Amino acid sequence: MLTDKLKDRFDFPPDGLTRALQRHHEPVPADFTDKVLIKLRQAQEQKILARVVLQERLALAGCVIFSCIAILATTVFPEITEVIFQSIAKIVTQQGEGLADRIPQTIIAFSADWQTYMILVGGIGLAVYSLIELFFGNGLKTTQSHK
Amino acid sequence: MAKNLWQQPKDNWVELLRSGDKGTFAEFIDKYKETVFLCCRGLGLRDDEVDDVASETFIAAYKGLQRYSGKAELSTWLWSIAYRQAINYLRKNRRKWQLWTEPDESAVGGLKAKEPGPVSAAQNSEEAYIIWAAVERLPRLWAIAIILHYREEKCITDIAKIMRARKNTVKTYLFRGREKLKEMLAVTFSPPIGVHRTATCTEDASVNG
Repeated sequence: MLTDKLKDRFDFPPDGLTRALQRHHEPVPADFTDKVLIKLRQAQEQKILARVVLQERLALAGCVIFSCIAILATTVFPEITEVIFQSIAKIVTQQGEGLADRIPQTIIAFSADWQTYMILVGGIGLAVYSLIELFFGNGLKTTQSHK
Repeated sequence: MAKNLWQQPKDNWVELLRSGDKGTFAEFIDKYKETVFLCCRGLGLRDDEVDDVASETFIAAYKGLQRYSGKAELSTWLWSIAYRQAINYLRKNRRKWQLWTEPDESAVGGLKAKEPGPVSAAQNSEEAYIIWAAVERLPRLWAIAIILHYREEKCITDIAKIMRARKNTVKTYLFRGREKLKEMLAVTFSPPIGVHRTATCTEDASVNG
């Protein structure tokens, strides 16, 4: 009998419990690592997809809401809408006329103080890059790594 | 893939893991998958559930690697994630009550020691088989405390963090688990096995009274 045999042989050293427990090996499926990596990739893809879907929905919602407001405004307050659009058209026309005259002045002003403007452009560029990195950086990296 | 990841200094492999490199993470899974399965089965999850919860554990670990400070041992950190995932699973399925009860014969299979066939007999000695079979019959929380303390050689402080319990509660689990184990093994062996502390925390001194 196994038990009788063990009774004779069983003489635990002080750390016997530790050694006995450490001898146990927990069975794990052979393909477990691959399964986890596949699940991980799927989870990342779903996250990216969810972000894209959210952006699309926000854009669609914006278009629908803006269109509804425009239709509602032209239906309910036609006079006010007409005045607003006329004002916008007037401003654009005036700016456009003045724009041609301003180009040489701008070039002169820029060439006189171009260092300051370059620093300003660099700062704005960095700010835009940081914003893009903040919102889309992780997604872009993940997408690239999947290719 | 990073070669011999675990032979590198700790800072190196922590950085490698944080970099999100899949090869490094595969090595991480290979090293710790047995530990995670042990935790899940130890808490009484069935074989069909263990795969999912273990996978979720590693995915949670992957996401949480950026927050891993490196102060705690990696195994302790992973144990705490696995423990939390398994407990959440049990809570969601309204089976948390089973943590405090002794597993019945049909449910034993969580910490199942396989029958000593030709391969496992070579790996596990007969003594280890008998002791493991006794551990699997302990209430789940006692069994986990015993495994963490004696198998994984964690100190009381670490076990308390993993199990999100007070140190005194952990000491109680260990004391009761050990007494029950002695009682069960006394039927089989005489004299009962020697029980010895292995972890190094100062609080542990009072546990092995």
